Amino acid sequence: MKIAAKYAARKANDDDNMVPLINVVFLMLVFFMVAGQIRKADPIPVIPPQSINDTRAATDPNIEIVVGADNILYVDDVLFTVEDVQAYLEQAFSSAVNPDAFWVQIKADGDIPLDSLRPIFNQVRLAGLTKVSLATQLEREAK
Amino acid sequence: MPLNISQPKRKNAISLTPLIDVVFILLLFFMLTSSFVPWRIVDTPLSVATDAPAAPEERVNVILTLKQNNGQVWVNDEVLSLSDSSVFQTLVSDNGDAVFIIQAEDGVTLQSLMSLADRLKLNGAETVSIANAFAMPEAK
Repeated sequence: MKIAAKYAARKANDDDNMVPLINVVFLMLVFFMVAGQIRKADPIPVIPPQSINDTRAATDPNIEIVVGADNILYVDDVLFTVEDVQAYLEQAFSSAVNPDAFWVQIKADGDIPLDSLRPIFNQVRLAGLTKVSLATQLEREAK
Repeated sequence: MPLNISQPKRKNAISLTPLIDVVFILLLFFMLTSSFVPWRIVDTPLSVATDAPAAPEERVNVILTLKQNNGQVWVNDEVLSLSDSSVFQTLVSDNGDAVFIIQAEDGVTLQSLMSLADRLKLNGAETVSIANAFAMPEAK
């Protein structure tokens, strides 16, 4: 019948239109799977300072200190005040499996002044830790 | 008698809609969890407070002081502009194997500090020390 034929034709056409869409979606999926890295999100968004430095961390940090733009301080995803950091670090260091490789990463926003970072570094030093690294962001084009 | 020849019917494909649903969900997942920030690390080794005096430093120190975030740096009471590459080239070539120690006053941002360190490195400085900028000011 005429109507049925028409109907069937339209149905086939609908499916045909879906194929390019799926192609694009698959391409995007593959792109994000390959190019992106899945990692735990920071508790607060931090824009690290840009630098030409291209050193990658060999191991994951034992302690991660995140300092946001308004001086909010997170240690291992928990909100901290500066004074409590030393005790936490000492406790974490004493229970570390491999104390020689114990290192602390400080992820600080590029816009925060250095004087608000100094107390944090001081706490780390008071805790007796020497391996500290600052997180930076690779600058793609050197100016 | 009508011939009952069935048309070679288009094979009924599996419905595409559930497939697309799943692919969209996967796509959303990867889009939201991916991070494209190229994280790198700068080591800032801290010195442990010891009673032993520090080993005598043989190398010459060049101390650079950042006072503001205006792209200027003080070296030996001289103001250098960060945007002026040639000045830094001369500074580095004049002090071949010196240790470039960066100090910073209150209010200087981390980005300014890293930019200065980058500038020195780009002009060939071998040893740049930024740890001093994070040291607590000595009690006076």
